[in-house]
Amino acid sequence: MTTAAATGQQYVTAVVAALSEVLGEPLPDATPATRLFDELHLDSTSVLSLLMALEDSLDLEVDPESLEQHHLETVGSLAGYVAEIR
Amino acid sequence: MLQQTLTFTEGVKTACGAAPGTPFVLLGNFEVEDEWAKGETGLPSVGGRSAAAIVNRMDEFALLLAGAGDHVVLKSRPDNGYLDYLDGLGLDLPGILVTDVNDPAHTVAVDALASPRLQQRLHELALGGARLWPHGMSALEERLCALTSLTPALPPAALVKRVNSKIYSRRLATELGLAQARGWECESAEEFAEVARAAAATSLAGGRRVGVKDAYGVSGKGIVVVDDERRMQQLVRMVQRTATRSGNPWLSLVVEEWADKAVDLNYHFTVSVDGGVRFDFVKEAITDRGVHKGHRFPARISDRHAAEVEDAAQRIGARLAAEGFHGPVGVDAIITADGELLPVLEINARNNMSTYQTRLQERFVRQGSLATARQYDIRPAGHRPFARTRDILGELLLTAEDGRGLLVNNHATVNAAATGEGPHNGRLYGLLIARDEAELDALDTAIAHRLAEENADHE
Repeated sequence: MTTAAATGQQYVTAVVAALSEVLGEPLPDATPATRLFDELHLDSTSVLSLLMALEDSLDLEVDPESLEQHHLETVGSLAGYVAEIR
Repeated sequence: MLQQTLTFTEGVKTACGAAPGTPFVLLGNFEVEDEWAKGETGLPSVGGRSAAAIVNRMDEFALLLAGAGDHVVLKSRPDNGYLDYLDGLGLDLPGILVTDVNDPAHTVAVDALASPRLQQRLHELALGGARLWPHGMSALEERLCALTSLTPALPPAALVKRVNSKIYSRRLATELGLAQARGWECESAEEFAEVARAAAATSLAGGRRVGVKDAYGVSGKGIVVVDDERRMQQLVRMVQRTATRSGNPWLSLVVEEWADKAVDLNYHFTVSVDGGVRFDFVKEAITDRGVHKGHRFPARISDRHAAEVEDAAQRIGARLAAEGFHGPVGVDAIITADGELLPVLEINARNNMSTYQTRLQERFVRQGSLATARQYDIRPAGHRPFARTRDILGELLLTAEDGRGLLVNNHATVNAAATGEGPHNGRLYGLLIARDEAELDALDTAIAHRLAEENADHE
């Protein structure tokens, strides 16, 4: 695995862990392609909590207003957003 | 005073100062809260409005609230098969007007403002004395009235917005001595920081969760539930950063202890221009993770709670009338796990989901029968005409002869998010009517199963 792929995987793992915390259930089958709203039934109410959980686990500061619709489509797109602001 | 013999809609017309036969033009501008929230700062806004196209097609609900002499403005003409179905149920449908443009990302009000042909037609109706009855009154509907000379049925947008704020709801409950969860109102980032400390020292320290809500948020949205002090401080910092960037220190939030609820209620009353208050009904709200999924009626509550709800409705209604408000009002309430009624969670001084069921309720829910207003999330493989929905539901669809089953009360939301390529998410709304609890549950399960079998990704 290349360094970039390993880093990408690290963000995917962090996103899945944050989702699991917010949704209150383990997500063993989640992959980068898993859709947040359609498949995991995340609702808009939970998005802020999700961002706070990511701030905690990755020790970063998120500006929620920089987050765009497409960042919230899948686990992979949110991991990509995290990688961008990191 | 309002007379109980009028139909629901006639009662609303009278309450708005019009004769029962006055033609109304209905406009289903759902999520009008987004308009009220403009210029207000609340929780940082994030993406996730993937369902906007579906929400904007909730405009079709207005079709079944309006009567034969009325008109309804829709983003597109309803499916002909659906109109035939409604006709077959013996419903006198209103005149249907369609916006010149239909942008899935826009509410029907925004589309109507970009529709000169529609506006011309509305102007003609205005000359005949028609009034505009929107889902809720905001600056957009005021502009539509100004452009078309339609008389607004509801009071001015600024007043309607004010009485819809959750800050107003909390202060009103305090003033009227109505029981409510411990909480605080915040009108600046600085005040929010102080309130967060107070909530941490009391509610959170006592092991109780706290909800932070946008004062102008849509019901069930714009809420963050916090269960420890560290997370609360994190939220304060996030809000402060947003405030600093915007250069606006003012915000509108409420912070409330999260009550353990046993039952969610929605009660509805109509405030008249003469100060009278008509209590309409109380329904049990079915929610899933805080998001509205439907209503069951009659609500399964005790006579004591029912009496307390009616009393709260009269007192809140009288206070709203004193503010100069008139029109339909829904209030969300809960019964806690300890059996206490908290009669004001929030006041929605606009049409509610339950408002749109009233006409069908009067017509189809007979004495002794039960009904649940339901929404089914579906994933059709492509555009699904009503004829196909009818085939899928088969004998589970309500017919005039049988009087039991699902009465579809919005079919536009089925195809609102269709792109023409591949499957899409949709919602099927209906009123499920049965003779008893067991039949209601059986119908619900059978319908959910049958719809799921037709989903694009069903295995």
